[in-house]
Amino acid sequence: MHFVWTSTIVTLVSFLVLYFLLNRYAFGPLMSVMEKRRELVLSQLNEAAETRSEAAAYVEQQKEALQQARQEAYEILEQSRQTSGKQADALIAQAKEETARMKDEAIRDIDSEKNKAMAALRGEVGRVSVQIASKLIEKEIDEKANEGLVDQYLKDVGTKS
Amino acid sequence: MHEAPVIELYGIPLDLSIIIPMIVSCIIVFVLAKVATRNLSVENPGKLQNFMEWVVEFVQNQIASTMDLKHGRPYIGLAITLIMFIFVSNMLGLPFGIVMGYDSAADATIFGQPITTAVEAFNTAAAAGNAHPHVEVAFWKSPTADVSVTMTLAAIVFLVVHFQGMTKNTKGYFKHYLEPYPVFLPINLIEQFSSLLTHGMRLYGNIFAGEVLIAVILKLSAVGAVGLVASIPMMMIWQGFSIFIGAIQAFVFMILAMVYISQKIVKHEDH
Repeated sequence: MHFVWTSTIVTLVSFLVLYFLLNRYAFGPLMSVMEKRRELVLSQLNEAAETRSEAAAYVEQQKEALQQARQEAYEILEQSRQTSGKQADALIAQAKEETARMKDEAIRDIDSEKNKAMAALRGEVGRVSVQIASKLIEKEIDEKANEGLVDQYLKDVGTKS
Repeated sequence: MHEAPVIELYGIPLDLSIIIPMIVSCIIVFVLAKVATRNLSVENPGKLQNFMEWVVEFVQNQIASTMDLKHGRPYIGLAITLIMFIFVSNMLGLPFGIVMGYDSAADATIFGQPITTAVEAFNTAAAAGNAHPHVEVAFWKSPTADVSVTMTLAAIVFLVVHFQGMTKNTKGYFKHYLEPYPVFLPINLIEQFSSLLTHGMRLYGNIFAGEVLIAVILKLSAVGAVGLVASIPMMMIWQGFSIFIGAIQAFVFMILAMVYISQKIVKHEDH
């Protein structure tokens, strides 16, 4: 076994050179690439988490919007129900009013007809009674003077009856 | 045993069986890492990039098991370089060997330089009165099957460990030599150096033993027809086992380096 001192030197130098070359040209870039990949994966994971939370927020928002729309629809329905009820009430009231008015008119018409008829009857009765009276008493009575008498008589009859 | 091919350039001895495979192993590791990280992509990594990322993640997990990854991040590069370099070095000696036989001191040359160890072997053979000396020189083996290589790697780790301990955890570093009592100072010091020694020797022993057994099986194959037939399945089994051993030892060397670092830089709270 020979111990050759240059072997030590050669080993030392070649190992150190290899170490520096590898670090400079191979492992440095390789490890930076691995680090980059790690960061890429990390950022993608973060992005995914962000997107997920965003999606959840969107769903929440959509739910809220749906709820709101439902509420609005309900309100509109309620409102229309109320308005239609009111309208019906108004129509009914109007119809009632109309009928009452027509009834009143009819009553008034009837009254006026009755009065007219009564007045005509009164006149007829006066004339007839004057004729009867004149026939009965055979006496010419001033028609005009007798009209007041007949009225008096009829009034008496009206109050007594 | 085969001789190591040591030549002298300007008076400097060079062990070719260490230098050549070591350079080859450095080139393999660097080319592998470079090819794997050539077209880096964040979203669509290629097969080799995936493999390299698996290696990095594996080492990261191992470091995280010894210390907080917050402290361990600067040592990831060191750990990956260690495990890849040692693994490739362990594998290099397995598939083939280059052994040259020489019959005279004048023949034993490489690149025009005499192989000093072979020349010495011829001289001792001549002194012993051997008329037909034959020396075999192995040019190819795992660099980690040499004690000077593994001890150098262990020494690099040792220096990193203690330097990091002194700078990052100064108080705790010096205090822990006196724990649990100041009397334990020599034991603590011995522990440091024994861990350095075992760190390097463990790797050397495992790989060197594997190579020795491969050499023995090769000798067996040269014995005769029976030896040849018997050596093939043995070689297959032993090479498979050596791959396993090489992987395990590379992993153990790396994880021990990280354990030593974590022991020195992690601040212990008083209980």
